[in-house]
Amino acid sequence: MRRFPNLVAAVAAVVLLAGCGSGAATPAPSEGGPQSAGGSGDTLVVYTNSNGEGRGDWLTAKAAEAGFKIEIVGAGGADATNKLIAEKNNPIADVAFGLNNMYFSQIKNEGALEAYQPSWAGDVDKELGDGETYWPLVKQAILLGYNSDKFSKDAAPKDWTDLWTKDAFKSRYERVTGLGTATAQLVFAGILSRYRDDSGDLGVSDEGWKQVEQYFQNGSPAVAKTDLFARIASGEVDMGQMPSSIIADREKSFKVNVETVIPSVGVPLAVEQVALVKGSKKKEQAQKFIDWFGSAETQGQFAKQFNSMPVNKGAQAQANPEVVDFFADLKQQDIDWDFVQENMGAWVEKIELEYMT
Amino acid sequence: MTGTPVRGMVRSPFVLVVGAVLTWFIAAFLVWPNINVLIATFFPDGSFSGRAAEKLFSSQRAMKALGNSFLLAVALSVTVNLVGIFIVLMTHYFRIRGSRILFLGYASTFIYGGIVLAAGYKFIYGDKGIVTSLLVKVFPGMDAGWFSGFFAVLAVMTFATTTNHMLFVANALKGIDYQTIEAAKNLGASTWTILRRIVLPMLKPTLFAVTILSFLTGLGALSAPQVLGGRDFQTITPMILTFTNSPTSRDLAALLAVILGLATMVMLSVMSRLEKGGTYFSVSKVSSELQKQEITNPVANAAVHAVAYVLFAVYTLPVVLIILYSFADGAAIQTGQLSLGNLTLDNYVRVLTQQSGLRPFIVSVVYSALAALIAVGGLLFVARLLQKYRNWVAAAFEYLLHIPWILPSALLALGLIISYDHPNPLVGGAVLTGTTVILLIAFVTVKIPFTLRMLKASFASVNSSLEEAATIMGAKTLYVFRRILLPLVLPAAAAVTALNFNSLLDDYDTAIFLAHPLVQPLGLVIKANTDGAEGTEGIANTFVYTVLLMVITGLTMYFVYGRSRRRTGRKRLPGSPSVPGTAGQALPGAPAPGEDDAARPAAAVR
Repeated sequence: MRRFPNLVAAVAAVVLLAGCGSGAATPAPSEGGPQSAGGSGDTLVVYTNSNGEGRGDWLTAKAAEAGFKIEIVGAGGADATNKLIAEKNNPIADVAFGLNNMYFSQIKNEGALEAYQPSWAGDVDKELGDGETYWPLVKQAILLGYNSDKFSKDAAPKDWTDLWTKDAFKSRYERVTGLGTATAQLVFAGILSRYRDDSGDLGVSDEGWKQVEQYFQNGSPAVAKTDLFARIASGEVDMGQMPSSIIADREKSFKVNVETVIPSVGVPLAVEQVALVKGSKKKEQAQKFIDWFGSAETQGQFAKQFNSMPVNKGAQAQANPEVVDFFADLKQQDIDWDFVQENMGAWVEKIELEYMT
Repeated sequence: MTGTPVRGMVRSPFVLVVGAVLTWFIAAFLVWPNINVLIATFFPDGSFSGRAAEKLFSSQRAMKALGNSFLLAVALSVTVNLVGIFIVLMTHYFRIRGSRILFLGYASTFIYGGIVLAAGYKFIYGDKGIVTSLLVKVFPGMDAGWFSGFFAVLAVMTFATTTNHMLFVANALKGIDYQTIEAAKNLGASTWTILRRIVLPMLKPTLFAVTILSFLTGLGALSAPQVLGGRDFQTITPMILTFTNSPTSRDLAALLAVILGLATMVMLSVMSRLEKGGTYFSVSKVSSELQKQEITNPVANAAVHAVAYVLFAVYTLPVVLIILYSFADGAAIQTGQLSLGNLTLDNYVRVLTQQSGLRPFIVSVVYSALAALIAVGGLLFVARLLQKYRNWVAAAFEYLLHIPWILPSALLALGLIISYDHPNPLVGGAVLTGTTVILLIAFVTVKIPFTLRMLKASFASVNSSLEEAATIMGAKTLYVFRRILLPLVLPAAAAVTALNFNSLLDDYDTAIFLAHPLVQPLGLVIKANTDGAEGTEGIANTFVYTVLLMVITGLTMYFVYGRSRRRTGRKRLPGSPSVPGTAGQALPGAPAPGEDDAARPAAAVR
């Protein structure tokens, strides 16, 4: 106990010093360790929402082999979008990738992207990007999947609308509890686009909004931190929305069999893109990185590693043949993305406020 | 204490220096960025519209969720007090067998919380939970889904948020003068009468304060309703988060946040009014230390023991299961099937052998420690002055310092970006975005309201005669501060520092917008490893990170708080019997670590 006063004095000194520093030292970026991102050597700063499940580490290592020093900053799609827009006056990122066309067109409208034509622009379908600032990398289908042990192909739903119009599926499908994710937004883009009516509320007819209402009334609400596949495995629900890339893996983990529904209007596609950030201080290096990352070789390796569907035609040979076949047969839903992009914010707001119960 | 005229205040150089620094800090980091973000939100085209209010008030769902949040806030204020007072009495007032073990169990809420805590309770009481399975065997007719809705959310949040009771009410209890209790006993008062007429009244200021915290926690509830609320009991925080993320709906988020913020301020002012005018500490010059009380009635004694141990089980089972499940694979976690044979170290190996390795942990520890120390260090001066000088200037400063409680942290971060992405004279013409400093500033500001309330309270409990004596003997302001006041408030300051440190460790909402790309803190890594991919690895990673954070926060609590607690229990300055105890006397503050909190809504783990 004798030592105690000394200890107090020492702690007090530390606290006091820190306290004195709080006013004077913190705002002066010249002191301590602050470093400007712009001056962080030749490291390219890459924003993405596609760094999970080891993708970020894999890409960093591969890029290093190709002579690019990159630092990946991961964030959800909406977070990354907001961050890029907020930073547009003094950008920190050099490259952004993984966000879908809806997010990128939002960023582009805010003037935070720089036009660039990558060397591989000829190997991809320009329609999937904007042909100017953001360029397509990976295709993802947003699907309705069902437990094929419980429903035969004939008994299964044929379209999203069957879920709430046929009694067999009511309460047997999982419905979302929030529209914050890209997947959920794309599902609604796919449904609402069918009911486009310029005289309707937010460009959608009353009939369209009725579908949304029914979707929420008849579905089983998603459970936080419990995957749809876990709920299918335990028999709580039998079907729900899922992006194509996760299906094979989850089937194995949860020991369930899932088949997907291809409605006659087709399936909405989410296309992950890459773009150069306007105001990048390492523009040339960033352009070289984009050229390398979107190339047939890199995209092919990426597809092989993560079971994805590359847009680059040269890369498809290396992708999982099952995945390539699936997309070859897939009918893509014809969606007017300008219309969707223009209205999505208001749709999300209306759905959250009026239809989600 | 009476008010001090403003003129008297500006005569002290100490006041002038602290005042100048504080004015600059408030202007630069609390007012300017938030005005910018609110203007951008409410006046997007330069003109104001009542759109947000109109939309919100006509939405049934928004109104119901808002109502649920308020209902939860009020209910929690009651239930947390009941459970909290009970466990404090068990561990610090009555002679209960094994009270040290009980303490450890009850203290488990210090170190974890949020979504994983809710998941832990679900493993036990959910439809496939251990307890539910047992109950169904005994009562075959019962509904396996009994543990959901308002009742389940309230129960889980009650047990999850007694942290403040264990810290501050327990401290206040230790400050009670035992001579009063002995005197009452000699006069023939029963155990119950003593408790009701002597002990609880002395705890009142602290109880008011923790009540505010419980209210705040209920208002900001996020993960417990998401996991256990079901269709009928959802709260407003998830909606605020969705709207914050959407530029076209951000005005709705800001409006909702402001409504919750105002409710908090009203609660604060009501509580401080209730508290005014009472004398809550012993005025005896020689006080003696509290001794544990026997419960003489054997039946009551047995019943109290039984309840205490049942609560112990309620508190510890989720922690044990979370630790066990962190060794299981993700599918087992989500389907609730645990078999001892399947437990492996794979999850830990995967998390700890990532390329980023331990670096994010170190970055977070350094950032959190710096922010916690700066907030407490700086506010020691401020709290002292605000407590000493009571006038309109001081009151204005105090309210301004509560701004971070009103807005969600994502908006605070956006405000800092749009205010400091160009050279700004407020910070000497520097550009702050893209530097390592901006995140530190944000971390410090979000911790200001809680820190200020706690420190101010602890200064209020310092017996002013000590200071007067020193001043009469010729001690200077800083000397009095350093040698007399500081040692007395240090235990409280250390506890606040520890709580601040713990709650910043896994921050995501602020860091995602402000972190330097080369110095990324833990929250971002956790998010990358747990989000979206909820499938299998993601959920297992969540559990691993929770356990790793438990280790860090547990150590912090032990080093900082556990040691000072023991120390103040033994040594007390004569004449200031209530000093260590009433650390929490005025105590409002932000929720302690592990609680849901509107201010840090989307943390990945907690």
